Amino acid sequence: MIELKDLSYVRMGASNLEEAESFATKCLGLQVGEQSGKALYLRSDDRAHTLCYFEGDPADQTVGFEVEDESKLDAAAATLDQLGHPVHAGRPTECVLRKVKAFIGFKDPTGNQIELAVRPERSGKRYFASRDAGITGFSHVGLSTTNPARDEQFWTQVCNARVSDRIGDIALMRVNAIHHTIALAPGRGPGIHHVNHQVESNDDVLRSYYHLSGQRVPIVFGPGRHPTSGARFLYFKGPDGMVFEYSVGVDEIEDEATHRPRQFGFEPSSLCMWGSRSAALLPPKS
Amino acid sequence: MTAEQSSLRSPAIQLCYVRLAVAQPQVAAAFATEILGLQHVPNDLEPFLFRSDERYHTLCLAARTDRPSIGIEISGEPELERAAKDLAISGFLAREATAEECAQRFVRRALIVEDATGNTIDLVLRPAMSGRRYFPSRDAGISGLQSVGLRSRSIKDDLKLWTTILGARVTDRVGEVTYLAIDQKHHRVALYPSDKAGLVYVGYGVESMDAVMQNKYFVQERQIKIVHGPGREPASGQIFLRFAGPEGYVFSYGYGLKDIGAGHRPRQFTAEASSLCEWGSECADIAELQFVPAS
Repeated sequence: MIELKDLSYVRMGASNLEEAESFATKCLGLQVGEQSGKALYLRSDDRAHTLCYFEGDPADQTVGFEVEDESKLDAAAATLDQLGHPVHAGRPTECVLRKVKAFIGFKDPTGNQIELAVRPERSGKRYFASRDAGITGFSHVGLSTTNPARDEQFWTQVCNARVSDRIGDIALMRVNAIHHTIALAPGRGPGIHHVNHQVESNDDVLRSYYHLSGQRVPIVFGPGRHPTSGARFLYFKGPDGMVFEYSVGVDEIEDEATHRPRQFGFEPSSLCMWGSRSAALLPPKS
Repeated sequence: MTAEQSSLRSPAIQLCYVRLAVAQPQVAAAFATEILGLQHVPNDLEPFLFRSDERYHTLCLAARTDRPSIGIEISGEPELERAAKDLAISGFLAREATAEECAQRFVRRALIVEDATGNTIDLVLRPAMSGRRYFPSRDAGISGLQSVGLRSRSIKDDLKLWTTILGARVTDRVGEVTYLAIDQKHHRVALYPSDKAGLVYVGYGVESMDAVMQNKYFVQERQIKIVHGPGREPASGQIFLRFAGPEGYVFSYGYGLKDIGAGHRPRQFTAEASSLCEWGSECADIAELQFVPAS
């Protein structure tokens, strides 16, 4: 079994790197860690980077997870190879671009580009936000799925993810105590559905709602509260249509041994218990 | 301080009720139950009476009156007598309520007072409680009548009534907006500088932030205008939602109103929008909740 320790980074192509930087710093509130030629490294916590924009195709999106060490990485490569997932071993130059010691790349059953990395870099300098959004760190991703049951099986059988809750057939899965690190979202093809950063407080979610509204950033969902994780949230749109989320108060699964996934109906109130709705993110009203 | 004064308790002890003058009580009553979520109290004296907590009533929609009033409970008979004297000395208009007026207010005795602005304030004794528990008409999460915002043409003169005569304490100010405490909560009354008399809002406490936000989407879906918020008052700490009710009245839901400690000193907040809402909501419709930038 492939043991994912944590979510590590997201890499996304940007059609306009300057616009991406402007959004990331003025709206999202991340810190520019490093800008090297055609890539922009953004920090959200004590890691050297958690989001990398590179000049390129916006559809080129990758999610990186951390694994324990190189022997675990080799074992993961063998497992994936055996299952028929073509595996790409990261070359040294590619490792440098990702600020990791070693990595492999592959595609999940939907076709999402996934990387497993060893020893992603941390930074000695503390995180200093570009605006006071209250970000405490990069926390989870929504991954598109063309077949929720099949992909749930991949993440839970081939990898070590556990289902925390389900909305309809959509699984919210954890790799550690945090309620979810991977949220599947029905889609027509591969891609990152949303990128989540945690913020300090309820106040931060609502402050950003007004701040981003004032910046004319499209708010696509919220302010709201997920009944599943308990988190208060705000979803908004960034460059090239990518959706970002702020949230606070995600539950932790206290007892790994006894937790049973709860089943929520496939309806708007399962996504927001306050009553916010989103055409882009919600199932159609029945 | 004389011996007589020191033996008296602080006069004002509770915000009891709000009486709203309405032209179309049926419409307002539908709003009170279907939107606000209050419980209707069937009653022969006042047909449009509503509960929000353990009290017999906290809202009366009165068709036979021409201006709104608020009810403030006074700690006892001697304190009421003392307040009546002080009011007369200071030149405030005050009269003893008739038996019928007391019955309509569900109190044993009332002194109907006009503040310097022209707002009517009923100083009442023994307002009625209810033996039956509060059962709301919808799940708005209301925990009780919490506060009122009053318009003030003269903060200084109105404060004389509230602090010197009634014993309320100024807890904080935003520009000239003045928050007044009469119990352990940060405020029960807030005075807003204005050029007229009236209520800025009638506020109900709700049980959680979830309730405030659920109510936001609830009123929004019903095309009810949100005039301020969802927001958070830096001074009081409360999360609020203010929205338009019938006949120009504004109602609010609030959660998280702070208690004030014994050592609290009134703070002065700058006269700007962020002092009324730290989240960044701005009020577009009510002059009293806006600040004109200094020119």
